[in-house]
Amino acid sequence: MLIDNPYINVLVTAALTVVFIIASCYALGFLARSIARMSGASPKKQENTFAGYFFAAPWIVGFLIFVVVPLGFSLYWSFTDYRVTSAEPARWLGFENYRTILLKDSSFRASILNTLYLTVIGLPLEMAFALLLAVLLNQKMRGERVFRMSFYLPVILGFNTAVLLCWRLMLNTGTGIINQMIRSASQAFPLFSYFSRSLIFLQEVSAAFFLGLNTGKYNLLQKVIATGFPAENRVPLWVQSPLWTKMSVILLMVWGCGVMMLIFLAGLNNIPRELHEAAEVDGATSWQRFWRISFPLLTPYIFYNLVVGMIAALQIFEPIFVLYRDNQPIVSSTITMVYYLWQKTFSHFEIGYGSAISWIILVIIMIVTIIQFYFQDRWVTYDVY
Amino acid sequence: MMKKYLPLLKGILLYVLLTGATVLMSFPLFWMISSSLKTLQETNSPGIVWVPRQPTLEAYTAIFHNQNFLRAYFNSVFYVTLALAGTLISIAAVSYAFSRIEWPGRNIVFFLMLSTMMIPAQALIVPQYVFFNKLHWIGTFNPLIIPGYFAGGAAMIFLLRQFMAQIPRELDESAFVDGASHVQIWWNIIMPLSAAPLATISTFLFVGIWNNLLTPLMYLQTVDLYTLPVYVSTLYNINQTTQPWPTIMTAAVLTTIPLIIIFFFAQRYILESVAVSGLKG
Repeated sequence: MLIDNPYINVLVTAALTVVFIIASCYALGFLARSIARMSGASPKKQENTFAGYFFAAPWIVGFLIFVVVPLGFSLYWSFTDYRVTSAEPARWLGFENYRTILLKDSSFRASILNTLYLTVIGLPLEMAFALLLAVLLNQKMRGERVFRMSFYLPVILGFNTAVLLCWRLMLNTGTGIINQMIRSASQAFPLFSYFSRSLIFLQEVSAAFFLGLNTGKYNLLQKVIATGFPAENRVPLWVQSPLWTKMSVILLMVWGCGVMMLIFLAGLNNIPRELHEAAEVDGATSWQRFWRISFPLLTPYIFYNLVVGMIAALQIFEPIFVLYRDNQPIVSSTITMVYYLWQKTFSHFEIGYGSAISWIILVIIMIVTIIQFYFQDRWVTYDVY
Repeated sequence: MMKKYLPLLKGILLYVLLTGATVLMSFPLFWMISSSLKTLQETNSPGIVWVPRQPTLEAYTAIFHNQNFLRAYFNSVFYVTLALAGTLISIAAVSYAFSRIEWPGRNIVFFLMLSTMMIPAQALIVPQYVFFNKLHWIGTFNPLIIPGYFAGGAAMIFLLRQFMAQIPRELDESAFVDGASHVQIWWNIIMPLSAAPLATISTFLFVGIWNNLLTPLMYLQTVDLYTLPVYVSTLYNINQTTQPWPTIMTAAVLTTIPLIIIFFFAQRYILESVAVSGLKG
């Protein structure tokens, strides 16, 4: 704008915004009150109408400016070939963008399949780990708070670039600490070596199969099977090979399982104690009690975590940007929808195409959320005032 | 005989498992600090270096002389403060409207607000980018800060509203009799009583804004405007074979410290409200 200094610029804009918001508070309040007066409301009700709209105005105005209008425009653009960079007016394309994305765009298909992979393989791992931690914490012992804090901390640090770069360092194939520990453990215990190599084999076969689904070509799978059981000195190729990129993201997901853990913990707390006590009197072991009492009663929470985790998987952006950015042969093996949206919109400035992608993401998330809301009354009771 | 020791054994096993899990979960943090004190040779060495043999603060002194890093730090603090202040106050005002005033249309507006939780922020980035481009706001902090001033964050409004709704009605009614206005009641009575949920919300907002990478990446296009996440991501140069790991990890430690401090003070409120609402930091 007119002011060169970026700090003063934003301070001035913020001050103007505050003035604008206060003005719209009054405007909306007066408008609502005069409507109330015309419909013959009592003076007390008129006052409340004014106050209600006055205080709610920031959200109402923001909703119009930053949600309704953008959504409307993007819906319109999604049917055109609008680009920011080109001077020509946008052409109306009809459903062309949607048809291309859904039927022809291999990167978009890759992003859906990658999300599916994260959902099918990553989420069960993450939930199992979260459940394990929750069950351990539920034993109610001294120092529980410290443990709970340390399990939740990764969620706070979560997707900060700095922390992700630390993972990048730890996941280095040659000198990274994780592979070095695997290496020294393999040398010390031959049994561990077999165990880790069979996991590597399992992971590479499944990842190659998924990549095959993606591209329609199964030569990578054939290659993995032809190579056979991994050699003695093999380690995971975390951030190096397209077969491993998704596994690294899953590792980060498992690390950030703190939210799921807290939700499971709330679920475990809601299980009536009497049930466990009665079963204990009847001589049930704690293993039996977990699978026969706790687990069935936790299923709504599991379902909730599954749905929320799926939405989160659709939106993963930072790990891919930090770990794989610009590494072209690798990035397509782990691309998520939001990453693809960012790539498409900001490397080519294809606004029309990007808008169509965002509407597809929106519809997918809405479907998943509606399923979640539909089942939500099974897990949470809203105490609506 | 065995029966007597069984509970003790179980307790020990539990602590061993939990301590093991804690070590695993906090390992990246330890590794970050340890690597920041190493030399370049040590971070790239083929053997395991748990703790640096001769801890060096070289990377720290270097980064405190790095103008770009310092500016990025200042930018982050500046941007978080400004965004947090406006977002928090507007959220508090809107929550007041949803919890303490009876007005026609309240339920409809509240339902609309809850339904915006379904809209992923990313679905809006394309049209918002075009909008801010029209305003000539690309290359300024405005797109990162201004949207929050319009009570950005439906989940936060919901959290605060639930709390405010539980405050006894008699408080504002007696203030009304004394002739106080809604603005006075909101600011002088309701706000001080909501200190705990406000702390929770500010922590969530702080973490979200501090960690945000996508929006600053889109809108801040020159180095002198970069916030920490964007600047730190440029330290890692994908085209080089050896990365300056001690420097990167030093920047990482300094970026993480505010998060850890805030979490340490607010964890009591956070852990409870997450369990209640399923919200995420």
